[in-house]
Amino acid sequence: MAAERDGQLGRRVSVEAPRKQRTSRLTETGVYAVLFIAFAEVTIQLVTLALSHQPNVTLALSEPVATSFSRPDIVDRNGRLLATDLEAPSIFADPALVIDRDELVEKLITVLPDLDAGELRHALADRSRRFVWVRRGVAPKVAQMVHDLGLPGLSFRDELKRAYPAGALAGHVLGSVNVDNRGVRGIEKYIDDKIGVDPVHAATLSSRAPVRLSLDLGVQHALEDELDGAVKRYQTEGAAGLVLDIKTGEVLASASLPRVDPSWPASALDERHIDRVTAGSYELGSVFKTLTIAMAFDEGLAQPGTMLDVRQPLEAGRFTVTDFHPAGRPLSVTEVFTHSSNVGAGMLALQAGPEKLQGFLRKIGVLEPVKVEGATVVAPQVPPAWNRAATITVSFGHGIAVAPLQFAAAAATLLNGGKRVEPTFLRKFEAGVAEAKPLVTAATSRQIARLMRVNVTGPDGTGSQADVPGYRVGGKTGTADLADRGGYASKSVISSFLGAFPMDNPQYLTFVILFEPKGVADTGGQRTAGTNAAPVTGRLIARIAGQLGVEPMTVAETQ
Amino acid sequence: MRLLNVTAFFFAIASALLLYGLNYDTRRLEAEVQAKERSAERARNDIAVLKAERGALARPERIDPLARQLGLAPPKAGQFESGREVSELNDRRGSADGR
Repeated sequence: MAAERDGQLGRRVSVEAPRKQRTSRLTETGVYAVLFIAFAEVTIQLVTLALSHQPNVTLALSEPVATSFSRPDIVDRNGRLLATDLEAPSIFADPALVIDRDELVEKLITVLPDLDAGELRHALADRSRRFVWVRRGVAPKVAQMVHDLGLPGLSFRDELKRAYPAGALAGHVLGSVNVDNRGVRGIEKYIDDKIGVDPVHAATLSSRAPVRLSLDLGVQHALEDELDGAVKRYQTEGAAGLVLDIKTGEVLASASLPRVDPSWPASALDERHIDRVTAGSYELGSVFKTLTIAMAFDEGLAQPGTMLDVRQPLEAGRFTVTDFHPAGRPLSVTEVFTHSSNVGAGMLALQAGPEKLQGFLRKIGVLEPVKVEGATVVAPQVPPAWNRAATITVSFGHGIAVAPLQFAAAAATLLNGGKRVEPTFLRKFEAGVAEAKPLVTAATSRQIARLMRVNVTGPDGTGSQADVPGYRVGGKTGTADLADRGGYASKSVISSFLGAFPMDNPQYLTFVILFEPKGVADTGGQRTAGTNAAPVTGRLIARIAGQLGVEPMTVAETQ
Repeated sequence: MRLLNVTAFFFAIASALLLYGLNYDTRRLEAEVQAKERSAERARNDIAVLKAERGALARPERIDPLARQLGLAPPKAGQFESGREVSELNDRRGSADGR
């Protein structure tokens, strides 16, 4: 029995053993497979993580938050800071969390007295909104005071705010930005359009290189300071001026008074605050004779010694053109320039004819609109028909209105040997490619420089008050009746002085314009440019020549 | 077989511990990087503020009156001494202008 049982058991064991072995092997394989898949999954995940480029932080907000922009700094030609971004706290409210709307507004007004309470109350009344700006870009101290009020529903976030450390200096050139830190005017707008700004959600400063302007902070200050002095001294309605590098076209200083503060952009909207250097076109008067006489030289129509009989007035349509101070004798072309003879200039223009005059003015760039970074240079107003009357009046700067910057660039073209001057507000690092053919001959350029110098040093020159010993200043005065509705204002003038130095090798050009100066004791009751704009130019050059590295020299007496 | 199982088990535990440690290290490093970035950002902001303050303090409008109070003035031509002379417009023959 026992043997039989053993036999049966042995058979059962021998049958069950391979099955058990198979099952355990299957289980083992399963476990290994699961483990392998798990480890493979981990490995794949690790490799993917290591290889993939994770974005730093992603901001997910249910309420859209206004984007701000980070902007590059603006520096002057020597690297001195003119505009930069600073971190400033902004205050916002969540209407859903505001418990007592009236209490919040009343308490806020104690810290921010100029807050528009009605508008804020209205915005907070809309409970569906989750985000309402209260005030952007406040001082940290103000933010702390608002924080200390302990009002529920108010929060803060840091944003970028544009700061102008030099105050209102060069305000017109710099322009301004809006509340989102986007440029809306001037160089700030140019940066948005051409250089680029970066949208940011937090107060992240721009990593872009600073924008280097052609302006020189010291020269700009000297110009604005002298113009301020002129506005007070001659009781003018406004003033404008610029300093231009004759060789490169870089604008070293450009100012228009009354000035605008880039931190308070609203002031720029007033008509009186336009940038008169670029956005206003004016009949500049006798300074235009510089161009007429240059044309006569360049066309070979006259030499400095050519005599013109200027005793008879010129008939130009219904006008009769006379001289302000008739000489009563024939004048040489040099004297036409220094006496500022309208008749003489008119005769030269008539001698050339309207086509040549127009062609010359177009060639040196006063008839076509010009472009400059960050500013819209107003298009010149030219006579509708170039008849005899227009030819005569244009020859002494009436009947044609151009922006001062455009005129200065044309004058600089005459003085630098005929190389076209394209004015720029940006620092130039490489010299421009020389044009194949200069616009005027070197001889014309030298003769004009000489006339301008004689006008300052000569006994009967109108620009004698612009002279600065050692700096060889030259220039031309211009006193033009101010255009009024349908004619000219009888008692208002624009007086201007086109200056350049050093005249043995002209490097810098200055242009000072005074709007409606009064006759004061200083000028002996006169309003002419020789008595106001010329001395302003003299004082300006005395201040800036040293800064610009012009070496003063003793001038040998040759005249 | 058992040895293999035990080894695999310990290997799994060791890997888990290692992964845990790596994870922990990574988070710590991330926090460190963020702290460093924040402090660099603060430093950059401080530099921007200081640069703006220096610009505001050195603005010519402020320096000009201060310098004048100290008796300073723009240099006059007479203060340079070079001994050089320049002939008027480098052109002595140019005076034939009819006068």
